[in-house]
This record gives sequence, structure tokens and C-alpha cells, in this order.
Amino acid sequence: MRVSIDSGILTKSFLCILMLAFLVLNGMVSDWGRLTGGFGNLKNFFYQSLWPPDWSVLEPQVYPVCTARYPFEFTCSTAWIGVIETIKIAFVATVFGMALSFPLSLAAARNLSPGWLSFSSRFILSAFRSLPSLIWAIFFVILIGMGPLSGVLAMTVYTVGYLGKLWYEAIEGLSKTPLEAAQAMGLSQYETALSVVVPESANELISHSIFLFEYNFRSGTIIGIVGAGGIGYYIDLYLRFLQYDKVVAYLLIIFLVVLIIDFISIYARSFFTEDDDLKAPSWFEVIYGLGRAASNPSSFYRGRR
Amino acid sequence: MQAGSFFVQPILVLKDVVIGYDSSDPLVKVPDLQVFPGEIIAIAGPSGIGKSTLLRTIAGLVSPISGTLEVCGKTLPESPPRGHLGYVPQKLGLVRHASVRHNVDQGARAGTRLRKERNERSTGAIEQMGLTDKSREPIRRLSGGQQRRVATARTLAQRPRLILADEFLSELDEETLSSVLEAVTNYVRENDACLIVVEHDITRAKMMADKLLVIDDGRVNPFIKGTKALEVNI
Repeated sequence: MRVSIDSGILTKSFLCILMLAFLVLNGMVSDWGRLTGGFGNLKNFFYQSLWPPDWSVLEPQVYPVCTARYPFEFTCSTAWIGVIETIKIAFVATVFGMALSFPLSLAAARNLSPGWLSFSSRFILSAFRSLPSLIWAIFFVILIGMGPLSGVLAMTVYTVGYLGKLWYEAIEGLSKTPLEAAQAMGLSQYETALSVVVPESANELISHSIFLFEYNFRSGTIIGIVGAGGIGYYIDLYLRFLQYDKVVAYLLIIFLVVLIIDFISIYARSFFTEDDDLKAPSWFEVIYGLGRAASNPSSFYRGRR
Repeated sequence: MQAGSFFVQPILVLKDVVIGYDSSDPLVKVPDLQVFPGEIIAIAGPSGIGKSTLLRTIAGLVSPISGTLEVCGKTLPESPPRGHLGYVPQKLGLVRHASVRHNVDQGARAGTRLRKERNERSTGAIEQMGLTDKSREPIRRLSGGQQRRVATARTLAQRPRLILADEFLSELDEETLSSVLEAVTNYVRENDACLIVVEHDITRAKMMADKLLVIDDGRVNPFIKGTKALEVNI
């Protein structure tokens, strides 16, 4: 049964859920006093071990000998090599994941597929999603050995589970009239998917795909720790040697890459927004927008007209 | 073509059809209805009485509670006739983020699998609806009237035998309305197709239709143009 929802009911419901969350937390915490010294500890740790970051991670490695010329010596650094490898793993895994997620999400969407197909597709997606990418990475490292291929396979499996779910939910949220018009005209499921579903849900499909690329890049820092390649290998290395200032430098580089991915996402989605309120930025703006965004975040959003 | 002629096969046949979403609460009963090539039929009646549901049932989107429904000799909804049925829903059913051309192509694709013919049909329909300069624009940037013209162009590009249109003339200015109506009626007459339109404006319904179906008290009552019954005041 559908019920009408007003903002008062929503607010009260959310407050009740919030209160419940605090009660659950209170049941799990035995000593709230431990929080009092936490900030001081963090401050000491930050200034003694983390800050300032050690940017030597951007300097060329001693071995193998760097053949790049000035000003591109940084391309021989562990940070660059690690970031590029992580981006490669994330890119390949996201693209493979997209290719596998698309048919599965079409099959899982209840507005496009019969119940039995929808249920079985959701079952597969849930199974892929039930394990985090780290566990999948361990699984594939055991299966095929250490290296980027294990990372790619682990991330692909997780991407299919996650992206498939996000996509079928986006597809189920589509207005039914274009789908009905296509159905009445006699278009096949395949034609309907290509001519209605893809353009109508393009904003969500692109947004979710780029989010997954960003997620895969970030999780690349974790799966590297179990030997599945990427920047995580170097982070793990410096964590073992307690060189936290170098770890912070890597984390800041990761943060920068995530920001760039976010700007690319804004650019890509600007072509599919409903009200044209996001101006499609030029690639110049995407590349140099970081500095402007840091000083004035609203400067990136401008009216099209 | 002579409607109801002995030798002419009907495009649409409804026999003892009961329509609705709940078998315990049927909306409309259609004892017997045959629609022949070249006919234009308007469905009228008060709001919420089941006009759009009747149209959606004929479109194969809602299963009838009972009875048989045939379009071009194919039983619905079991075996829908590909490309023979054009549908313009009340909300038009356009792909909002796609271009005018993409939407019109969709109709042409349902009508023919030949790429060259598809392109010709789309280009012709876009020209006919006066949308050539807008063909690359996304639908979301068009006015309500322009969007209705796109939906009409999509149906014309499909070249179906049966066109189902749910209030497709609303939101159009007088000039556009007459050109859209003329294009659709000409298509129907010249191609031996038929048009079933839900129209809330009874004057317009009488003007365009050969037959007016008035849904009243859950039954479809047909009134043939020129008879006294057509003057019924809903």
C-alpha cells in the first residue's frame, strides 16, 4: 500500500531512527571517558609523525635508473608509478564491470524483466556484492598469484555487484511512459534498452560508473596491501616502516586524483542534467578548475544561459 | 475505404472485453467494437471513467479482465503486432534527454528494419511537423507544443495501421493544432490506417471523428457521426 509522505512525518521518523542509533551505540560502548584524551593523542600523532608530508615519494627511485628527462623525472617515482598502476587497474576493472553490469541490471530491473529473471539476476548481483573487494583480492591472489591481474579481477567482480545494483535501481526509477510507448510500438527489449533506458538514465549511469571508478581507485590503495598491485603496495611498505609522513603524501596524492575524477564526473554528467543548470565546463576548466574550486567552490557551477 | 464494408478486414476487434485493473471492480465493458481502415474514432467521457485505460488496453499495456482483443489479426497482449500499433500517451512518452531525431527514429525503427528507409521516414516526419531546425535539440529544451509535435512525428515515422492517441492535441496553439491534425488525418485516410483518440474537448472530438465512443456508466456507447445521438451532451 502506498502512503502519502509529508515532511513532518519524515522528520519525526528520522529523529526516531537517529535516537535508536544513539541507543545502539550506547549499548556497544562501555567507557565514554576514552573519548576525552582522543583529540590530544591525534594532535600529537599529527604533528610528530604525519605533518609535514614527505614529498620525497615524488622523487625518482634509485633503481631502476630513471631515463626520463627534466621536468618529467617524477614519472620514475613510486608515487607516480603506484598511482598510474592503480588508475589502470581501476579503469580496466570499471570498464569490464560496466560491460557485465549492463545486461545484468537490465535483467534485474522489475520494470523491464519478468519476476523470475529479475530475482535470479539480483541473486547474482548480491552474491558478487556480499564480499568486499579486499576479500575478493585475497581470493584472486590465492587463485592466480600476486600482481595487477588479481586486482583487476577482484575489482571487476565487486564492480559488477555494486554497479549492477545502482544501475537497476536507476532504471527502475525511470518514467514508465517512454518504456510503455516503446513497448506499444513493438520495440524489442534490446531496442528499448538502447533507445530509451540508456539515454533516459544516462545521468545516473555515468555518475554511478565514475563513482565506481573513483571507488575502485580508492580501494586500489587497500587491495595493494594484499599484493594485488597498485599504490597500496607502497603505502603498506611505508606503514610497516612507520614512515607515516610518506603515507600522508600518498594519501594527499590519492585525494587529488579523486578530486580530478569528481570534476570529470561533473563534466560528463553536465550533458544529461534535466534543467541545464550545470554548465558543461571545457576541458581547460576541468584541468585548471581545482585551484578555482579550492578558493571558491561555487565558481564551477554557472548557469548555461 | 468504406468503413464496415463486407470485404474489408477490421484493424481492431474488441469482443466482450471487460477493462480495468481489478476484476472485482471493472472500469469499462465493450460488448462489440470493430474499427475499419480509414476510420477516426474519438473516445469521450468524464475524467477518471477509464478512457485512458481503454486506450492502454488496446495498446497491449494492460491485460483485459476478460474478452478478446485483436489488432491486425493478432491477439493482444499475447502476440503484439510489431510496428502496426502507434501509441501517443498523454505524457507523450518521449525520451527527454535524447534529441528530436532520436525520438522520431525510435518510431521509424519500430516500423522498418531497413536503415535507409528508416532515415527517410524520420527526415520526412520531422519536416512534416516543422521540426527540421530542432532535430538535434534534446526534448527537455522544447516547449509542450513542440514536444507534442515530436510525438506525432514519431508515430508518423512508424507508419502504423492503428494510431492510439491520448489527448495528443492539447497544449497546441490553433495554427499548430490544425497542421498536426491535418497531417494525422491525411495519413489515416491515405494509408487506410485508423486513429483512436481520447479527447476531452467534445467539440473537437465531434469535428475530427467519424465515430464517437462515449463511456458512460461503465459501458461504451457508440454514436455515428451525423446521427442525433452524436449531439449527446456529456
